[in-house]
Amino acid sequence: MQARIGSVLAAAALAFAAQAAAQTMVFINPGKSDEVYWVTAAHAMESAARDLGVKLEVLYAQRDHMRTIEFARDIAARPAAARPEFVILSNDNATGPEIVRILDAAGVKTFLAFSSIPAEGRGETLGPREKYKGWLGSLEPHAEDAGYMTARALIAQGRKANARAADGRLHLIAIAGDRTTPSSVRRNDGMQKAVAESHDVVVDQVVYAGWARDKAAEQAEWLFARYPEARLVWAGNDLMAFGAMQALEKRGGVPGKDAFFSGVNTSKEAMDALASGRLTALAGGHFITGAWAVVMLYDYAHGRDFRDEGLELDSPMFASFDARSAAVFMARYGENFDSVGFRRYSKALNPKLKRYDFGFAQLLR
Amino acid sequence: MDAFRPLASSLVRRIVVVTVACAVVAAAVQASLTIRDEREAFDRAIANIAQTNVPLLSVSLWDIEPEAIRRQLAHIAGQPEISYVRLSERTGHRFEAGSAVLRDANARSLDIPYPDGRIGSIGRLEVSANPQTLYRHVAGKVGFLVGGYAALGFALCALIALMLRMEVEQPMRRLARFTAELTPDRLTTPLALERKPRPWRDEIDLVAEGFRKLQDGIQGHVANLDAQVASRTAQLQAALDEIRALTVTDALTGCFNRRHLDARLAEETLRRHRSGYPLAIIVSDIDHFKKVNDTLGHAAGDTVLRGVAEVFKEAMRQRVDWVARYGGEEFVIVLPDTDLARAAAIAERLRVAIERTSFTHAGTEINVTASFGVAECGDGDDAHGLIERADAMLYRAKQSGRNRVVTSDAQTV
Repeated sequence: MQARIGSVLAAAALAFAAQAAAQTMVFINPGKSDEVYWVTAAHAMESAARDLGVKLEVLYAQRDHMRTIEFARDIAARPAAARPEFVILSNDNATGPEIVRILDAAGVKTFLAFSSIPAEGRGETLGPREKYKGWLGSLEPHAEDAGYMTARALIAQGRKANARAADGRLHLIAIAGDRTTPSSVRRNDGMQKAVAESHDVVVDQVVYAGWARDKAAEQAEWLFARYPEARLVWAGNDLMAFGAMQALEKRGGVPGKDAFFSGVNTSKEAMDALASGRLTALAGGHFITGAWAVVMLYDYAHGRDFRDEGLELDSPMFASFDARSAAVFMARYGENFDSVGFRRYSKALNPKLKRYDFGFAQLLR
Repeated sequence: MDAFRPLASSLVRRIVVVTVACAVVAAAVQASLTIRDEREAFDRAIANIAQTNVPLLSVSLWDIEPEAIRRQLAHIAGQPEISYVRLSERTGHRFEAGSAVLRDANARSLDIPYPDGRIGSIGRLEVSANPQTLYRHVAGKVGFLVGGYAALGFALCALIALMLRMEVEQPMRRLARFTAELTPDRLTTPLALERKPRPWRDEIDLVAEGFRKLQDGIQGHVANLDAQVASRTAQLQAALDEIRALTVTDALTGCFNRRHLDARLAEETLRRHRSGYPLAIIVSDIDHFKKVNDTLGHAAGDTVLRGVAEVFKEAMRQRVDWVARYGGEEFVIVLPDTDLARAAAIAERLRVAIERTSFTHAGTEINVTASFGVAECGDGDDAHGLIERADAMLYRAKQSGRNRVVTSDAQTV
């Protein structure tokens, strides 16, 4: 009976989907087209779009934030028929409000994924569906979690390896991303929170390498010279962690032995480093945020607004990886995310579903 | 004689010397001022770096922002006062910007403090001044100044040369030429300097005026001299006339003297022979003149002599006949173009005139008579012979009783 009702509903949903067929979405990707994290995020979104029959177009800004605004202008300038229904964007480098403003004027609905416009300092932009009706909402991973989880794992390893300095404390140097992107700030906050909870850890210095490997390598070189007793290196992403390792190796040190490193992002290189022990701690999985956004917008287009769960959502999308979970992840999602089966998470396709179950840990189970 | 050098040339040489001296002094002063300015500019740049760049560098060093550090160093080295900067970080990292070859041994050093106010320094900034900017500024300013002086000196020289040529040299040369060509006969030629008319006078005009005054003075003096010469010449002429009169006339009677008679009678006889016109003479002697002298005195005698001479002259044809005192109380009367008969008649008339005339001396009336001998110049006669013959006739008249006329053919009238 239940199955029957389910199949009828499924058929109805399918019919509905067919009727409102082919939502068009554009993802303005702030990253580079060869940057693992952002490419992975785009792949996950494409998998979700495929599953849901959504037409998705990905535009890479190549880390040039002015270009994200240019993309918005280009989209607004398209003929009405060629304009997408939804644009998914990230508020990297605080370009969100301008993009929302441009697209709202062109009647294109926007959704902020990964990084939203922070509530503080929002100013005239106001909240979703307030000043700009077309700004539907946002979905962010719990960025703080990434910082917190990696810092805790790093500190635990430091204690285990007794990497204490002469003063009996663990000295940590932090290589952060940037000073403005909310996810960057929150990861740092998570790291600071983990340090504050530990009585025996001191942060020698926080520097900002702009997510870049080379700059992180150069800064780490200075930092190792400045703080010879620091043996814990926390990094805001995987690339900066690799840069810092490079600097250590240049000094003749061995990562995972003379100093311990943590990073964020589930790149293959990061997973391999985790497996080899060069990298001590890694958090990732938040790349999936974009894919969840596709699901939310699909549901919105099919009459299931996410308003009842809140317009601005955040989910603990980060998972802390260790060597074992890394191996599982690589085996399952090394090539693509088609095996996830995004249709399972759609409220429109699963009318019984009352709350979204967005996360990453469940993808590894 | 020393070489000629125009005034303008001397003046121009001196101006050049003075201008060069001034330019050298001004250039030295300007150079030292510019060097001081440049030092101050460098000090200001250092102060500015200490105030603005050092805090930024402090933060950039602390945050390990190499790009920002390089940008800031490039900005510092880009300042014209600064040639080279070097930043040494505490842990041995080093950045530099600018031209390392211009690194100054006396470069300024600035400590970069920690941004959080911690004691100590995170790095050290070494700033070298830019000597090229200094040289360029000094050269530029000194060059401009020297150029200005050169232009001024040239303009002054040109102006002075032109003005001297127009205002002094030309008139002076004209004056010199005029003076050189000035001769007594050209003294009256006026001095013309051919200067443009102007509402003022200058030294040249004063010289020209002085020259004209001198010219006028000399001219006046010469004119005066001529008048004096004319006056003296007239005086001399008068004296000469007087002397000449004295040599041919008798002082007492005003008749010609014996010397003149000798000379002139000779001429008259020659003329008689040449022309054939007759010539006659009368010799007269006052009768008993010695008695007058002896009784009435010589002054009375002189009065008688003057009176007799007067009577004779009055009775004679002007400019033709003439009377000479032959000696003592004897007179000769020469009558050109007169034959014997007519001479005899004249003699007779004279005799009557004497006889009838009374001469007054000192209130005393004196009456005298005179005897006359008349002779005509014959073809063989000379002056001497003629007088002898007439004298012979006078002698006869005396012998015949005085107060009578005897002619040469011995007839008594």
